[in-house]
Parts: sequence; C-alpha cells; structure tokens
Amino acid sequence: MKMSEKMIWAAWERILRALVTVVLIGFLVPILVVVAVSFEPKTYLSFPPSGFSVQWYVQFIHNGDYTSALMNSILIGVAAASLATIAGICGALGVIRAAAPGSTLVGILSVAPAVLPQIVLAIGLYPISVWLGLQGTLLAVIFAHAVIGLPFPFITVCGALTAYSSRLEIASMSLGANYFQTFRHVTFPMIRPAVIAGFIFAFAASLDELVLAIFLSSPATRTLPLLLWEQLNFQITPELAAAATVILVVTSILIFAATVLPRLSKRG
Amino acid sequence: MSIRNVSKTYASIDAVAPTSLEIESGDFFAIIGPSGSGKSTLLGMIAGYIDPSAGQIAVDGRDIVPVPIYRRNIGMVFQNYALFPHHTVFQNVAYPLKVRGLAKQEIATRVRESLAMERLEGVETRKPAELSGGQQQRVALARASIYQPSILLMDEPLGALDKNLRDEMQEEIKRFHHELGVTVIYVTHDQQEAAFLADRVAIMKDGKMVQIDTPRLLYEQPNSRFVAEFLGEASIFSVKSTVARSGQKHKVVLDDGTQVVVRSKLRSADGHFACIRPERIMIGARLKGLDNVYRATVRESLYTPGSIRYRVALDGTDCVLKVRVLPQGNVEFHEHGTSVQVGWSADDTIILKE
Repeated sequence: MKMSEKMIWAAWERILRALVTVVLIGFLVPILVVVAVSFEPKTYLSFPPSGFSVQWYVQFIHNGDYTSALMNSILIGVAAASLATIAGICGALGVIRAAAPGSTLVGILSVAPAVLPQIVLAIGLYPISVWLGLQGTLLAVIFAHAVIGLPFPFITVCGALTAYSSRLEIASMSLGANYFQTFRHVTFPMIRPAVIAGFIFAFAASLDELVLAIFLSSPATRTLPLLLWEQLNFQITPELAAAATVILVVTSILIFAATVLPRLSKRG
Repeated sequence: MSIRNVSKTYASIDAVAPTSLEIESGDFFAIIGPSGSGKSTLLGMIAGYIDPSAGQIAVDGRDIVPVPIYRRNIGMVFQNYALFPHHTVFQNVAYPLKVRGLAKQEIATRVRESLAMERLEGVETRKPAELSGGQQQRVALARASIYQPSILLMDEPLGALDKNLRDEMQEEIKRFHHELGVTVIYVTHDQQEAAFLADRVAIMKDGKMVQIDTPRLLYEQPNSRFVAEFLGEASIFSVKSTVARSGQKHKVVLDDGTQVVVRSKLRSADGHFACIRPERIMIGARLKGLDNVYRATVRESLYTPGSIRYRVALDGTDCVLKVRVLPQGNVEFHEHGTSVQVGWSADDTIILKE
C-alpha cells in the first residue's frame, strides 16, 4: 500500500510527541528520585527508599545552619530581584521606547548574564567586591545576583513594551500627563504582568545560584545552595535530599506563580 | 496659530520642507496628501511629540516649540484612538482632568457632561475593547476635548471605520466643531472627507504644501497636475502650443495635434497641461452651443450608484476622456462601442503650469 502524504505527516507528529515525552520523563525522573529519597528512614541515601519517614525534614527545620541559610537565600533573592527588576524596567524603556543611542549595546549587556558562564562573572566580581570592602557581606551577593537576574525582567518588559504602541504614552502626554504621571498611570499598568513575571524569575535565579555565592559569601551569609554544596563534600545524608526538595518546592511554586499571577493581574 | 518655516529632517531627508502657514482661530483646517507626504510629521510637531529641525510654531503669538508636550494644552485624537485599554470609558475621559489635579467631584461632573454630549451614557464602566468603533471614536473625542484645549489635532481619526460609520462620524465631528468653536487641524488621505469638513485644505506632497485653498478653489482652480489628480478625477493632456493671449477664448494645441478652445487667465505654453473634469463634459448624439465638440467612441461604460461613468476616445486623436453624468430622468446610457458626441465649454478647460 502506498503511504499518502497525510499519513507521513501523521507519523511524523507521533514521533515528535514520543520524543517530547521521553525528554520530559528524562527531566522528571532525577527530580522525583530526590523527593523519594528525602523520605528515607535510614541515615544513608538508598534507592528505592526502604521506608517512609519525615525525620530528615524535622532535622532540617531544627538545624540552625539550614534555616539561617534559607533566610539568607530569601533575603538575597528578594533584594536582588527588586534591583534587577528596577534596572530591567529602566533598560527596557531606554531600549524599546527611547531608542537611545547605544540601545543595542544596552540590550546585549542586559541579556548577557543569562548566557555568559557564571564562573566568568564570579572571577570578575570577586576582586571588585574585595576592593569595595563588600567581600563576604550580603550586599556583595545581592549585587551579584541582581546581575544574574537582570535578563529576566529586561526580556519580559521588552516584550510587554513592544506588544503595544508608544502612541498610548504619547496620547497620555498630549492629554497633560508628564513623564512620571505617564509611567505611573499608563506604562506601568501596561507592563505590570511582565514586571511580576520578571521579578519571580529573577528571584528563582537567585535562589538556585551557587557559583557566585561560593566566591562572594562568608559562612554568615551562606545561601541554601551553598550550604548544600558544602555538606555534599563530606557527607551525603537524606537531610540533603530534604533540603533540595525544599528548594524544588519553592521554585515550583514560583514558576507556577509566574505563569498564573500575570494573567490574574491582567484581568484585574 | 502660525507655523513659520517649520521643517523636519531625518538623516538628511526632508520629511517636512520649510513650511509656513497661518490658521485662524476657530478654523477647520485639513491637511491631505498621499502617505509619506509629511502630513503626520507636521501634526506631530504641532502636538509636540516630534521636535522640528527648525522653525517656530506660534499659538497666540507665543512660540510653543520649547514647551513640552504635556504643557501645550493641545487636544489630539489619534489614528486608532490610542484609548487606554486598562481604563474604563469614564477613566479615559477623566484622565486629562485627573493629571491636572482637579477635585474628584468636579471631575465626575465634567466627565458626565462630556459623555452626555457624546451620547456615551451607559457605557462609562466599560473598557475600550468592549465598545464599537464609533463609540471608541467618540470616547477619543471626549477625552481630547474635556480640558477645553483651544486647538484640536486629529490624525486620520476615521481611518479605522467602515464607510457608513465614517459618513455618520463626519457629521458628528462637524457638529462638534461648531459647538466647541475650537480650531481643528485634521490630517487625512481622504479628499472627500477633507472637502466635507474643512474650511481650508492644504495639499502636501513630498514634505511640501503644494496648495492651500478652500475645497472649491482646490477643485476648480488646482495649481498643478498633482492637485488636479489628487482631488477628484481629471482628464489631463500636455500642451504643445504657446499662446500669449489670456482672459479670452483661444485655441490651444495638444501634443497629438488636437485643438481645444480654452479661456484661462493663465498663459498656456509648451509643457503645460490642459485638464478637464469628468462632470463638465456633455455626452450625447448631438450637442449644440459648446466651444468644444468632438465625435467620439465609447470605450468603457459603467453604471455606479449616483453616476454613469464613461471613457471615450476622440475619433482621429490619441485623446481619451473620462466623463461622468448623473443618471437623471431620460439620460441615455451609451453602450460600449457607441459613436457619440462629447463637448464642453472653454471655461471648463483648466490650464495647469506643472
């Protein structure tokens, strides 16, 4: 029987679907394994788990090192994401609306941290933070993570600004609103969903970041990924898996929020 | 308002060549021209979102070029309206008053008055996306006029509407202009719209104003081939002969040797053009009492609502004329290929210098 052209396309579609499924499972399996082993009752990691216990979570909560690292991570994440979002909005306005000279360069630099190896950034930032006397302080990590987070709000806000015509802002000004009033009443409401999404992604990027934290923090300003990494070097217990699961859950909630919140605020 | 030698140059190309213009207070002034002729750029410079490369724009004797856009107090209705999609109709119309810091109570009163005038009561809590094109248009008008600007700019405000609604909105804009007594500068590419609305019309081409006149004078006494063709239809022929006389009937020879009787104040010369409007030409089996009468053959005939259009070739010449007659009473419809006579008066031949 001769295969019709339509049948070939249908077969092709099935192959693509199978491929996507395999890839997704490939991503999910290690994640699910981490979650599974965190409920291990014994003192060492084993798979499949030999039973079910939440003792490692209890220990995680009572471990002062972990809780202070978690607090550091959240504090750094909020501060860094705020800085990144403000810078991202300014950059996007300059590039998309003002089309200021050098806007191509600003665009490239704002996106660069997302593609640049973080180790390069870390090696560059380390001497600067020593020179400024910020080495080991929260500020050093906050600034570094703001750089890491910048591409997200920049990209989302650029997208939001190109989605509507600058005529709206011109109209606002022709109606008597100065630049600040126009930003407050027109531009910001129009880009708010993108700002929220960009902020959340920047926060998530900070929460996951390890390399810069290694270079720039001290024991007092350790972040959660950094603490996990240090622990990994001398012992692997299910407590690590429990901590990793906490990061995983927080990040998942954030990604969910980043997709749902902007839509809600658009409707409201 | 007076515009003095205003120009705008982008990368050494003149978007608007130095232009001067006086507009009387309360006038309805239209600017028409093909796209890219600089009409929107000129409007943008008056509104304040495009900086002129040179020149002055004076309103009541004061140059407004250094004044920022939000202090000019000029109303503007944009193409596609530029209503704020996240604001309700009420908030859109209230916006100019809100940014001027008026009290809530006064804003509410004035917005209600303005909405009533535009027959928009009942939709004030809706978002622009939930309105019809005509309603959006009226919201834009209300928003641009609520702070009583002395000048109202409109950039192709009816471009997005369909034909019937456009006719209705033209009436609306005319009424609006009468009631407010505001000076309107109106940009469009639609010559009918401009002629219907405006007291005076400027025609722009390649960044220059080629003619400024009343709609009637523009149509009856165009100063160039471009204006004659842009406003309405015309049959245009190049002139070969040079005739010094003027003001009296005289013969003019066209490129192909055809002779036409003309009465024009303009001296006709080689390189000039003769232009005849299609509705000035008579068509029939026998014509009498006209200065120009020719035997002709109907090449094309078309019945359209309100008029019959022909394309006729003058026998023994290269001339093809556009003719339009009103299908009234016993007017005969000449089929394709019919032999007819066409004719027109010497006064209806317009001589164009370029």
